[in-house]
Amino acid sequence: MQLATPKLFREVLFFLAALFAVTGAIGQEKYPQRPIEFIVPWGPGGGADQLARKVGKMMEDSLKVSIPVINAPGATGSSGMTKLLVGEADGQSMSVFIADTHALLATGNPKWKSTDYKPLAIMLRQPSAIFVATDSRFKTWADFEKEARANPGKLKVAVLGLGSIDDMTLRYLAGKGIKTNPVPFANPGERYISILGGHADALYEQAGDVRQMLDNKQMRPLLFFATERLAEFKDIPVSKELGYDVTLPQFRSVVVKAGTPPARVKILADALAAAAASAEYKAFLKDSYADPNSYLGPGEAEKFLQGELDAMKHLIATISK
Amino acid sequence: MEVINHLINGFASVFLPANILSLAIGVVVGMLVAVLPGLTLVMGVVLALPFTYSMGITPAVILLTAMYITGTYGGAFTAILFKVPGEPLDVPLLWDGWRMAQKGRPAEALGWTLFAAFFAGLLTVAAMVLMAVPFASFALKFDAPDYFAIIAFGLTSVVALGGASLTNAFISMFVGLFIATIGVDEIYGAERFSFGIPMLADGVEYLTVMVGAYGLGEVLVRFEQGFKSQPLDLGAKVQTKLPSFAEAFKLRATFLRSSVVGLLCGIVPGAGATIASFVSYGIERQYGGQKEKMGSGIPEGIVAPQIASTASVGGHMVPLLVLGIPGSGATAVILGAFLLHGVQPGPQIFQTQAAMVYTLFASMFVSVIAMCILGYFAIKPLVRVLYFPEAITSAYVVLLCFIGAYAARSNLTDLWMVALFGVIGYLFEKYKFPIAPMILGTILGPTAERTFQTTMISFQNDWTIFFQRPVSATVLILAIVALGVPVVKAWRDIYIPALRRGRA
Repeated sequence: MQLATPKLFREVLFFLAALFAVTGAIGQEKYPQRPIEFIVPWGPGGGADQLARKVGKMMEDSLKVSIPVINAPGATGSSGMTKLLVGEADGQSMSVFIADTHALLATGNPKWKSTDYKPLAIMLRQPSAIFVATDSRFKTWADFEKEARANPGKLKVAVLGLGSIDDMTLRYLAGKGIKTNPVPFANPGERYISILGGHADALYEQAGDVRQMLDNKQMRPLLFFATERLAEFKDIPVSKELGYDVTLPQFRSVVVKAGTPPARVKILADALAAAAASAEYKAFLKDSYADPNSYLGPGEAEKFLQGELDAMKHLIATISK
Repeated sequence: MEVINHLINGFASVFLPANILSLAIGVVVGMLVAVLPGLTLVMGVVLALPFTYSMGITPAVILLTAMYITGTYGGAFTAILFKVPGEPLDVPLLWDGWRMAQKGRPAEALGWTLFAAFFAGLLTVAAMVLMAVPFASFALKFDAPDYFAIIAFGLTSVVALGGASLTNAFISMFVGLFIATIGVDEIYGAERFSFGIPMLADGVEYLTVMVGAYGLGEVLVRFEQGFKSQPLDLGAKVQTKLPSFAEAFKLRATFLRSSVVGLLCGIVPGAGATIASFVSYGIERQYGGQKEKMGSGIPEGIVAPQIASTASVGGHMVPLLVLGIPGSGATAVILGAFLLHGVQPGPQIFQTQAAMVYTLFASMFVSVIAMCILGYFAIKPLVRVLYFPEAITSAYVVLLCFIGAYAARSNLTDLWMVALFGVIGYLFEKYKFPIAPMILGTILGPTAERTFQTTMISFQNDWTIFFQRPVSATVLILAIVALGVPVVKAWRDIYIPALRRGRA
């Protein structure tokens, strides 16, 4: 018996090794085989999270592997980026990457660089806007602008945080003589209540995030930061037509670690493209008041990201002048 | 009258198979989530959300709300039996709840939480049904200074948590507040005390502090003693012991105070169950009829935090339904479920979706009852766990602490944090520093700082604004009194006699 055990053990070991070798070989031919983790660098329930859960589910159906969504919030999305970048470049993890995190490349000093990741797709683009409560004394953007010019720094605008894209846009406007007081409310509930309760005069937000309050006529937009008027808001002016060269749309993209094998990048990018083309996703974009042509493939996405980064750097240079 | 008709229809539809099934699942899963320390009810609701995609809107929302309510109750078990709070909101239950269990009356302590959760659950739903619309407009009145005042009041409950030494309690609280400042600040994005270490730049999750210092720290203390303390000799006392009506009636003032605190804290966005729980305990300690005995294991100290945290649920649902504004993590997820199903909460929801809204209200009544029935039958087997040798239960506590901490954000460094704070908790315990004020500081610190900074920016550094607004002025003055009285007392009792002796 004492002799048999090591022999049996060796045989089992050999069998296991053979098994791993075979499955390993198959694994290299066929991708994906194992679950692919989908990192959301933000808390649950927010826009980035909703996108990942929506798209992840659609990709599960087409790629036939499970795609668990993992929330890794913190440091304006940097924590999630760190999580993505410490892993292998093997296509087994991807991450949502949004405009606020991207802005760190222009404003902050993140531990990661733009060459560390590769975009698979821009999935959603939506313009930001200035909103007021429906019963606000400001009927139009012109009213708001007039008062802001008359009393510089008096009007309070609720924003996400200082140094954010929200704040950058407002500082750009301040440079044009429209000086407001940006008040940071990190918690969305507090941010919305600030204008509904009359504690702030206006709110900087994406229309999709306050959709229910727009539809309920609790809030209305005064100005969109975009180049063209939105189909749903034909009467509301956009920044471009007023001569303000600031758009900085909110975008949500999906990225993988740079160095991921091109074949795997293509499989993931194709799955995202198919998801973006579906009727279900188009309806999701419409519900979010997002640009119906939000989707950009890998090549265009890379150009778009570079363009946005240049725009932000230009904006910062303008502000600091 | 119309409300009653709607409610009757609502109750009828709760008992449709799909609805009652998702309610049952919600209550059971909510209970499990709450019992696991570190896995918070918010996280539980998030994890459940994808499973509701394929359901209809009504069962989906019923499931999530049932989890939410049950989540404010289930953690009481671990807090009282093992001195490990299942949820942050259960921390105040350690002070009187665990002590009562320590004195050999665990079933009685659990009975009080059961009764309190039952009372608060029914009350909060009733308040929600009757007063949703006026409550919602009340929520709009709060601005940053008021949020700050409420948090500051929550922090003053430190005087209640000191045990023997007020000085040590303050030291502990400031350690907690310091821990809360580590990492990237929310307003300016500046990195603080991170020394370039990525693990610190993320900030220290208060969950890891809580789970480590309480769960692991407690196990380390027992380990040092060689797991020698005898399993509780409960004898025939393992009966679920619900308080009698007469006993409960004696606490009527506590019930009233805590219910009001819970509802109000719920309505204020950003406050929520945890703050409600702390504030309510603090108020009981300052103004309650038994304030001198608080912390020694009396029912008032169990009832006050439990009522407030469960009562806050209804308060939170009000701004969500009436204004479409989520005041907390859990309601943000429920809002997500509404939107995914194409239902938009807002003032019109009572007309456009009356059937669904009243089914939801009715389901909350039923959830409260179901959760209490489940709790009632769980008490007996759970109390038996205390019969097991300490080493075995301790092993499970350690396991649960690590699983819970990892589940919170799937971050391995959090496990190191739990281990680190386990050691800190052990040292605190050994050198007679109370742990609770540190936990209080780490939980409330970030919100206190954020609301203070927002106020300063919003009102251009005019600090007098805190005393110009009625809500913040009242609450802050109460907080100052709460802090001042024990300090003056200590001065009178210790410093003056010492001075006299010195002169003599």
